[in-house]
Amino acid sequence: MHRSTSWLVALALVLPAAAAAQTIQNPTLRRAQQAFDNLDYRQALTIALTSLRERLTGFERARAYEVLGFTYSGMDSILKAVDAFKQVVLIEPERDLDPNRTSPKALSAFQVALTQILVVRQLRVDSVNFIGGQGAVGIRYTVTQPSRVVTRVTGGTLGTIRIDSTVANGQVNIRWPARMPSGDPVPAGTYNVVVEATVGQNSFSTSQPIRIAHGAVDTLPHLTGLPGYTYLPETEVPPKSWRPMGLALVYSGIALAGTSALSHGNLGSASMREGGMIGGGIVLAGFVMTLKKPAPQPARGNILYNSLLREQIARRNTEIAQENTRRRQQVSLTVVPLARPGGGR
Amino acid sequence: MSGGRFGGLAVCALGVLLTAQPLNRLAAQHVNVGPQIAFGDYREVSSDLHYRGTGLGVKATLMWKKFSADVVLSKVKYKPKTSAATANFDASEVDVRLRYYVTGPVSAELGFIHRKMDPEFEAQSVGAVTLGARMAYVLGPGVHMSLDGGLLFGSKFSGGGTTSALGALQLGLGLTVDALRGRVRVTGDYGFQRFSRKTNDGSGPLTAPIQQSLGRVGIALAF
Repeated sequence: MHRSTSWLVALALVLPAAAAAQTIQNPTLRRAQQAFDNLDYRQALTIALTSLRERLTGFERARAYEVLGFTYSGMDSILKAVDAFKQVVLIEPERDLDPNRTSPKALSAFQVALTQILVVRQLRVDSVNFIGGQGAVGIRYTVTQPSRVVTRVTGGTLGTIRIDSTVANGQVNIRWPARMPSGDPVPAGTYNVVVEATVGQNSFSTSQPIRIAHGAVDTLPHLTGLPGYTYLPETEVPPKSWRPMGLALVYSGIALAGTSALSHGNLGSASMREGGMIGGGIVLAGFVMTLKKPAPQPARGNILYNSLLREQIARRNTEIAQENTRRRQQVSLTVVPLARPGGGR
Repeated sequence: MSGGRFGGLAVCALGVLLTAQPLNRLAAQHVNVGPQIAFGDYREVSSDLHYRGTGLGVKATLMWKKFSADVVLSKVKYKPKTSAATANFDASEVDVRLRYYVTGPVSAELGFIHRKMDPEFEAQSVGAVTLGARMAYVLGPGVHMSLDGGLLFGSKFSGGGTTSALGALQLGLGLTVDALRGRVRVTGDYGFQRFSRKTNDGSGPLTAPIQQSLGRVGIALAF
């Protein structure tokens, strides 16, 4: 009970502080903002400059310079507006103005300010999942001045790995395969993607924390059939025919005619009793078989087809087994960008 | 001929050899054995010596891969049908055929027959080697018929005499119908033999043909 109460008290203290960090608490700055909103530029300028001499949070200081930038823009003092916006960008490199709610003059001054200072902005790391060695993580950033930009990954047991070094200006896209110099996948853990831009003595770096997790690669299920191909019946019932009856008559006829023909002339006419009985039995059997539903016969084409299909499935399953063996030795990498604690410097 | 080139003992031994296999080999072969009722027509020398009779027989069939063999033992009691024939006699016959499947419905046959008459001098005992072919056809499920024919070589007669190379012929017709899931087979066989025998008692060659039509109907157990 004491523990839950203490948690609630701590939460009650922390939440307002966190909210206050993103709101303007300084009354002087509030008055400057209000004067600007009332289009009283002189008043806004004076009060904003006054507030800068007071104790302000980083957020408030950025807002104070922003008020100055907007005010100077409104007063057509572009150079001063640019200087003010430079301060805004240096304090909050990720800061962007809403083009729908900002005057063209202020936007223009802001863009000029961006080109006059070296910052790396909008560092983004894609959230991806891929098999180690078969994919890459997309990393994007924007550098505001032509500079030598080095991208590194630091943290965990990794130390530091340089993943890119280039002279760039504007937006840069790079792809990182998340592999160590040895070729092995980067171990699971939390890392920082650090982008550092340098021009002469001037440099700026920013970072993005990421978490890399390892997982097993999904294996493929074995096939029991091929899509679109089904086994065919290996026997088929032939259509009814008079062939059994016909053949029975032919065989019996040959036997009886042969008996008659081969009979010796001296011995009189041959006896047909024995042959007639057996022949009659054969003709009767042939007649019954003609009326009866024929027995299923092996369908050679279907048997061959099924055999080929079985071979194909067996071959594919062998390949799947080999693929699964390989996959069990692989690792699935999941890269997730984490919330950034603050801007770069 | 009384000595008999193919004595009963030898025939029995051959039959036992063909059918008595180790049990593990029986699985790969088919054996049918069963009794038959025989009925025949026998003629000799002229149409005046005409006999008809009935009797019993046993037929065994062994099939193994492309080979098969038939062994038939029969005994028919012939009675005269004409006035010139006066005495009854018993005809004991052994018919052995070895068969090899060649192609399609055709098999080649090689075997021998031996027919012994009792009393010995009422009719001609005969022995010969058979060589011929057989055509078999499946009429339907479990129903097989066959037609065979061939020549009888090296014919020997108890009363002497010879036949020319093409003078001794045989013709046969067979039917088997499976019953009780193939465990029992109804069999029907017809065999016709003609020997254009010639004798010579010193006064020149005399024609003394022998002709037999034999029908057999029976059942067989399949193993």
